Amino acid sequence: MSTAALNKLIESARLNPEHVFSAPWEARAFAIALKLSESGLFTWDEFRDRLIAEVRASDRIRARDGTSDHGEYYEHFLRALERLVAEKGIATP
Amino acid sequence: MSGNHHNADESGPAARVKALEAILTEKGLLDPSALDAIVDAYETRVGPRNGARVVARAWTDPEYRKRLMANATAAVGELGFAGPEGGHLVAVENTDRIHNLVVCTLCSCYPWPVLGLPPVWYKSFAYRSRAVSDPRGVLKDFGLELGAEVQVRVWDSSAEIRYLVIPQRPNGTDAMSEDELAAIVTRDSMVGVEKIAPPVRAGAKRMRA
Repeated sequence: MSTAALNKLIESARLNPEHVFSAPWEARAFAIALKLSESGLFTWDEFRDRLIAEVRASDRIRARDGTSDHGEYYEHFLRALERLVAEKGIATP
Repeated sequence: MSGNHHNADESGPAARVKALEAILTEKGLLDPSALDAIVDAYETRVGPRNGARVVARAWTDPEYRKRLMANATAAVGELGFAGPEGGHLVAVENTDRIHNLVVCTLCSCYPWPVLGLPPVWYKSFAYRSRAVSDPRGVLKDFGLELGAEVQVRVWDSSAEIRYLVIPQRPNGTDAMSEDELAAIVTRDSMVGVEKIAPPVRAGAKRMRA
């Protein structure tokens, strides 16, 4: 994978070192996932398994096409959360 | 452009999160104020300042350092740092001969209680896909070139273990207090992608012959 892609992300982290979330919805999605796992509706490991699956699917496309990601991590995170919530029958949006 | 934000778009992530939160709140499964508290904690309190305190203590208290290397979860707990993703913490120490680098190749596993949530680059394909196969190349991207005599050890965070790198204490810091030391410890040094530079001011004050 290209050095240029990583350099860009390093540069942006240095410009904004305290940056935790890129948008309020990312923070909200994170908090929902953590709260639901703390409430025992699923374990964090179960969530992580879904997240790994989403990340892996994206990685395959990146490896195949030779493209780099641009910080879409929380999109994988949200999809993993939506899927787990539906699978567990917690809620059907 | 993929970087555009479509905040008003109903199918966009912001709207989906809102819908999810609304339905879970309606079912009594979520309390929005609890979410506010979590976001506030991870934006303001749970972050690399915690890890920096751990490192500064390890640098100044040899007994603490021993306890940290033996059982990092317990040792960071002594300083009040505990919580999710901190249950199996392992401290790995940089020396003149060994440099440690941490990655999570599968997703984003990271020691939250001491470092908070990971930066974007840590979660990126560019970092995850190369940290194991080409650690020196990755370190070079961060501006760190290590001599051939230094062995690079890469730690891939599994579902269980989280790693905290204890960086080397820079020269010229002998007179600094624990608080002053904590202030120079960076997040990146505790992931292993940089070394801590000797502080310029302290060096100027205490010129070495």
